[in-house]
Amino acid sequence: MQFKRLGIVVAAVVLVVGACGPSSGGLNKSIQIAVELPFQGSDKAASDPILNGVRLAVKDAGGSVGGFTITVPNSAVYDDALNGAHDPQTGANNMTKIVADPNYVAVVGPLNSGVAKAQIPISNAAGLLQCSPANTNTGLTKGADAKAIRTKANNYIRVVTNDAIQGPAAAAYIITVLKKKSVYIIDDTETFGKPISDSFEAEFKARGGTVVKHDSAPKTTQDYVSIMTAAKALNPESIYFGGVTATGGARILLAAQQAGLGDIPFVGPDGINDGNGATKDSFLNLAAAAAKNSYSTLAGPGTFDGKAAFDAAYKKEYGIDSTGYAGQGYACTQVVLDAIKRAAATNPTTNAAMREAVRAAGTDPSITYNLNVGTVKFDADGDTSQLIVSIYSFDPAAASGKGDWKYETQVDAAVK
Amino acid sequence: MTVTVSTGASSSSFARALRITVYAIVAILIYLIVLWRALVLAGELRAGSTLLNAIVQALTRFDAVGNEFLAQALQQTVNALSIGAIYALIALGYTMVYGIIELINFAHGDIFMLGAFLSVVFIGGIMGHNEAVTDIALLTFLIGGALLFSMPIIGLLNVGIERLVYRPLRNAPRLAPLITAVGVSFILQNVALTVAGSGDRRAPQIFPDWKIAFGGAQISVLLIFIFILSLALMLALQAFVARTRLGRAMRATAQDREASALMGVDANQTIALTFLIGGMLAAVAGVVWGLRFGYVKFDLGFNSGLKAFTAAVLGGIGNITGAVLGGFIIGFIENLSASLGYARWSEFLVFMVLTFVLLFRPTGILGQHSGDRA
Repeated sequence: MQFKRLGIVVAAVVLVVGACGPSSGGLNKSIQIAVELPFQGSDKAASDPILNGVRLAVKDAGGSVGGFTITVPNSAVYDDALNGAHDPQTGANNMTKIVADPNYVAVVGPLNSGVAKAQIPISNAAGLLQCSPANTNTGLTKGADAKAIRTKANNYIRVVTNDAIQGPAAAAYIITVLKKKSVYIIDDTETFGKPISDSFEAEFKARGGTVVKHDSAPKTTQDYVSIMTAAKALNPESIYFGGVTATGGARILLAAQQAGLGDIPFVGPDGINDGNGATKDSFLNLAAAAAKNSYSTLAGPGTFDGKAAFDAAYKKEYGIDSTGYAGQGYACTQVVLDAIKRAAATNPTTNAAMREAVRAAGTDPSITYNLNVGTVKFDADGDTSQLIVSIYSFDPAAASGKGDWKYETQVDAAVK
Repeated sequence: MTVTVSTGASSSSFARALRITVYAIVAILIYLIVLWRALVLAGELRAGSTLLNAIVQALTRFDAVGNEFLAQALQQTVNALSIGAIYALIALGYTMVYGIIELINFAHGDIFMLGAFLSVVFIGGIMGHNEAVTDIALLTFLIGGALLFSMPIIGLLNVGIERLVYRPLRNAPRLAPLITAVGVSFILQNVALTVAGSGDRRAPQIFPDWKIAFGGAQISVLLIFIFILSLALMLALQAFVARTRLGRAMRATAQDREASALMGVDANQTIALTFLIGGMLAAVAGVVWGLRFGYVKFDLGFNSGLKAFTAAVLGGIGNITGAVLGGFIIGFIENLSASLGYARWSEFLVFMVLTFVLLFRPTGILGQHSGDRA
């Protein structure tokens, strides 16, 4: 691990040194899109499909737009994981390297909201277009929190909707479709997990449900069984987990089963929708048979025009089914490529001017994009106009008997 | 057998075992009652009572509602005993090594982690069982096999580490082996990381979901099994150290290595034996960890090791009974905070209790002056 990180540093240094020489002052016509995701442990299960989606989009665009050659080599892929899970400080270090490299005109990532919170101040100050395929924390784009991490014009957009939509969608599903009137909530205390369970809780109560208890347990917790035994005594009809697989998802489910809560719905956000039962380190892989009553959400459409074609192209390219946010990785890259095309039309003469032109084009709220996931616009804060949350249940027969998430329905908050 | 305080070795140690058993039962009952009334208190507060009223109810309420909390307290007490037993088993390795060569063996938590991995390798990998096994003979074979597989390997690994890394530094300044132990910890973690990857690995939960109904509570048989297995090993260790020639050699080496060497005790052999036993107990902890929590991970040893080390310090490092006591106390504290819904405060509570104990007893609860270790 240490050597791997050293390798990345060396690669980055070589890139920076190598790139600065010939291109300083001029305009480099061969540019790269950086990808910044965690590639260790359970986070890797969620990141791999996104990276595949990014590369598929570049390939589908023929590897060039507006006279620029676009590539995503391995050296442009940064890993923000440390000791097996995403780490904001590592993410910030990566972003510092990315903004220092003039080859990059945009970055796709990160996966986790906590990492984004540490990165946006850096990418914003450098004016680098950043598109996240997976961040859902509301404070990244809206309110005082969002203002606090920006010093310049907005550079950050995301193709998924935020947790003010995702959390409540799960609450509505539990009450109206699963017909459960009470819930036990446990979150992982992190930037993503805590707020989404708060917005879930508010909606659940607003719809007349009972929250028997809202616990917080950090990912270092050793004994979840005691916590779930305490929850069992409150007789909840369902469980909501706010967090990701790497911060306790499957461990909590296993503990719930031991404590006698294995037969009620276990609902989680996109953080546990990270691949099928055959994907190493995914929620379904770790939970195995215990996942029988699990549900998850994705903060994007679960089905869209051309989903079948996208899935087929993905399968053909990589030999595996597309999972999680693969489509969103593709969509982010479509936005970036479109921005590059429009930036190229402004005839920038230097790398710095090109980067700024891409940022301005990508965040322009007047543009309507035709992405694989549908037609979307981004508001001035970088949030998508697509307010769709899709709901998945566990299908034990899928993925050759290993089990997979099965698309159930989707909720569009825009047409409420 | 009559219990008399005589000079006979067997009856006095029997009396001692009896006394410890009585203390343990009293402590468990006290915890049960405290937790029960705390749960009543928390329940009243949740139902909207004033603090004063809730306290009154906690002291006086013994109706059906109050008794429901007893069932929960019972279940949680068993939870606490099983996690406490795991901490205690690991803490024994810390305390024995410290007792004999005054080294805080930071790699010990990672030894435990490797033990957990080996049990997964045996049950899931070699034997190919990943689901619950209801056949008692097969279950006994699998768990016994996992123990027999991982205990010698982990024990000998620990001996090997001592031989290769700690022994050359035995007479070096004390900071040198300490830092080396941290280094060994990193090496073991990275070995596991390279071989097993960075995510959780699934540990086969072969123990069926058997429950005993007792006083309205559903007590898991697995947890009772873990507690009894650990207790038996701890008693066996006590007897070994107190009664056998090798145990006497360990105590002698702990008291004064040079003097015992002059009396013909082979210090190297005795220290190696200490590492062997410590490693084997950690391997047992690893096996039961996998059975209970259903996952293992390369950095498992860090948190568990920290808790177990804290347990050893709390009980009085160098003292075997103290390590066991400390392990169970930490299990109880963690469980209490989780039961009452303050899971995120559990580490804060653990270290607060540690600080308070050390303020008043700097050597830990049972710690004595350095002559009486091991």
